[in-house]
Amino acid sequence: MIIPFGHALAFAAALFVLGLTCVLLRRQIIMILIGVEIMLNAASLVFIAASAYWQQVDGQVFVILLMAITAAEVAVALAMVVYLWRRKRTLVADEFNGMHG
Amino acid sequence: MNESLLFLIPLLPLFCALINIVFGMRLPRLFAETMAIIGVAGAFVLTILLWGYAEGEGTRAVLFTWLNSGTVDISFALNFDRLAAPMTLMVTGVATLIHIYAVGYMHKEEDYARFFGLLNLFVFAMLAIILADNLLVLFLGWEGVGLCSYGLIGFWYQKVENARAGTKAFLVTRVGDVFLGIALLWLFALTGTLSISEINAQATSISPGVILALTLLLLLGACGKSAQMPLMTWLADAMAGPTPVSALIHAATMVTAGVYLLCRLFPLVSLSAVGMMAITAIGALTAIYAATCAMAQREIKRVLAYSTMSQVGYMFMAVGAGTVTGAMFHLLTHAFFKALLFMAAGCVIHLAGGENDIFKMGGLARRGPKELFWVFLAGAVCLAGLPLTGGFFSKDGILLALYTHPDPFYKVFWLIAILTALLTAFYTFRLVYLVFAGEWRGTGKPHAISLQMRWPLWPLALLGLAGGLLNLPAFVGGSEALHHWYGALAGRLVTVSHEVEWMLIALAVLIVALGWFAAHWRYRNYQAPLDNAAGRFLLNGWYMDALVDRALVRPFAAMARFCSSGLDRSLFDGTINGLARMVSAWGTLLVQLTTGRLTTYLSAFAWGFLILLGWLLLKLVNGGGQ
Repeated sequence: MIIPFGHALAFAAALFVLGLTCVLLRRQIIMILIGVEIMLNAASLVFIAASAYWQQVDGQVFVILLMAITAAEVAVALAMVVYLWRRKRTLVADEFNGMHG
Repeated sequence: MNESLLFLIPLLPLFCALINIVFGMRLPRLFAETMAIIGVAGAFVLTILLWGYAEGEGTRAVLFTWLNSGTVDISFALNFDRLAAPMTLMVTGVATLIHIYAVGYMHKEEDYARFFGLLNLFVFAMLAIILADNLLVLFLGWEGVGLCSYGLIGFWYQKVENARAGTKAFLVTRVGDVFLGIALLWLFALTGTLSISEINAQATSISPGVILALTLLLLLGACGKSAQMPLMTWLADAMAGPTPVSALIHAATMVTAGVYLLCRLFPLVSLSAVGMMAITAIGALTAIYAATCAMAQREIKRVLAYSTMSQVGYMFMAVGAGTVTGAMFHLLTHAFFKALLFMAAGCVIHLAGGENDIFKMGGLARRGPKELFWVFLAGAVCLAGLPLTGGFFSKDGILLALYTHPDPFYKVFWLIAILTALLTAFYTFRLVYLVFAGEWRGTGKPHAISLQMRWPLWPLALLGLAGGLLNLPAFVGGSEALHHWYGALAGRLVTVSHEVEWMLIALAVLIVALGWFAAHWRYRNYQAPLDNAAGRFLLNGWYMDALVDRALVRPFAAMARFCSSGLDRSLFDGTINGLARMVSAWGTLLVQLTTGRLTTYLSAFAWGFLILLGWLLLKLVNGGGQ
């Protein structure tokens, strides 16, 4: 393996933290979605690295499945974003607090 | 004739009562009234026709099996025997006259169906007591009487005090019923049967201590119904009911139920000398208590109510002195003249324009029909015990039994009885003088007295005056018919030398004369009522109501208040409400967490994730350390 497993894991962790930071700090729904995507990709990366490390194909299969699910998720999420925009003419997440207790 | 015809005696009034209660208001008024009278009069006629069944050992008739479980076999059975027959005849006869009177008295009453239905039901319940073969049927009648008296005393329930008087009667007699119920259960546990004759037969095999306890329980039960100390406070208030009801309750029925119960179970009761002494003491105490109260009463019906209490006290004394004949004899004569007095009092109240207060009457002998004065006087002389009247002979029998009792302590009771007789004569003639003598002091306009209200008084007056013939003592040439009729049930035969007897008679005559003269001297010319402490003390019945109020009602109310506000509302409700408030406060605190903002949730999610991660790491480190 060209890249050491530890490096791959460290990179994936950094990517995950970046995505999480994006999710937590940004207020725009689209930016939160992008953050989620980055976190998902970090997870995929771990799968790939592990698959290469143990020389087993299961991880790669799972990543392909994950890509498909992500694509579907993004499609649904973006459609909802369009609806949210139509409702309030804004995409700031905190504006949609209709479910408070 | 068939012995099951005996069932018609109680069932006829019951049937008419049910018809009146269910359909009464849809029937024409005349029909409802006539049916009520026929129900009772039919029972009266039947009693005469079936009289033969009472002779010898009496007749037992079973209608159906009521309870049958294992060894328990209680049937709805009647026992028409020598003790029951005269009582049945008296109750149905007097009740018939009272029903006829009631038709006249209640002719303006809208709610006649309820009235006559309850009246008939009352007669049925009383007949169930009298004819019961076992104590359960007796108890059924016993409770039925209580229920009907509640309904009848509080008949005009729109006025709160009437309803309250009914409730009071119901509750006070209920206290006695509890003791009676205990006695019944105990007897059942001891003998395994509730049949009166079998219990009486097995009584000798019960240990003396238990007999004493049973006697006292039965006595307390009888006290409740018969308005004896200490359960007597309801009777004076029971005057709130319509006058025919007063006549029915205080003359023929209800108050005599206790005496009858003791007579029925006399073979059991008489086994305990202490128990008999207690019965006599209760009777004597009540007799003197009620007689003193009657001296100061202002309402005509209250005077009569207290006199009833006093006379029933005599009957208790007779039972305690061991003579069932004496008790039943006085019961019968008393029923006649007391029913007469109450119904005549109803007429008097009508004449006085609805006025109850005897100090606002006067001169009614001239004001109303002359006959009313004479029948009232007939009842009054019987009550006072004027020689040769029925009341004289029956009271004299009781005095004689007390005097001749072997236990010297009974002389004390005899003295109390003599003193009571003096007071009785005094308050009776006081009543007569205040109502009939002097000038009219009232304001009301007389109401008309219908024919139905007048003529039932005559047979009762005759029966009261001639009631002595029932059991005329031997020394005046009588045959002591009632005593021989009762035979084995009669209790102790009072035998005494003629000298002593004549001496007692002379004393009794002297007492009556003394009472009359005292009343004559005091009330011949109108005297305003004394309004001093003693007068008020007697007027309020020795403040017995206040005593009961202080001793029982208020502590009970205080306890109830404590349980309600102290325990229930403060402690239990407080705890539960406190818990609820706490939960609700937590809820409002927690609800602030649900802001509805995505970002809050996301950061909470991230924090949770971090904590989980930290925990897992810690576990990993600890696990690795092992």
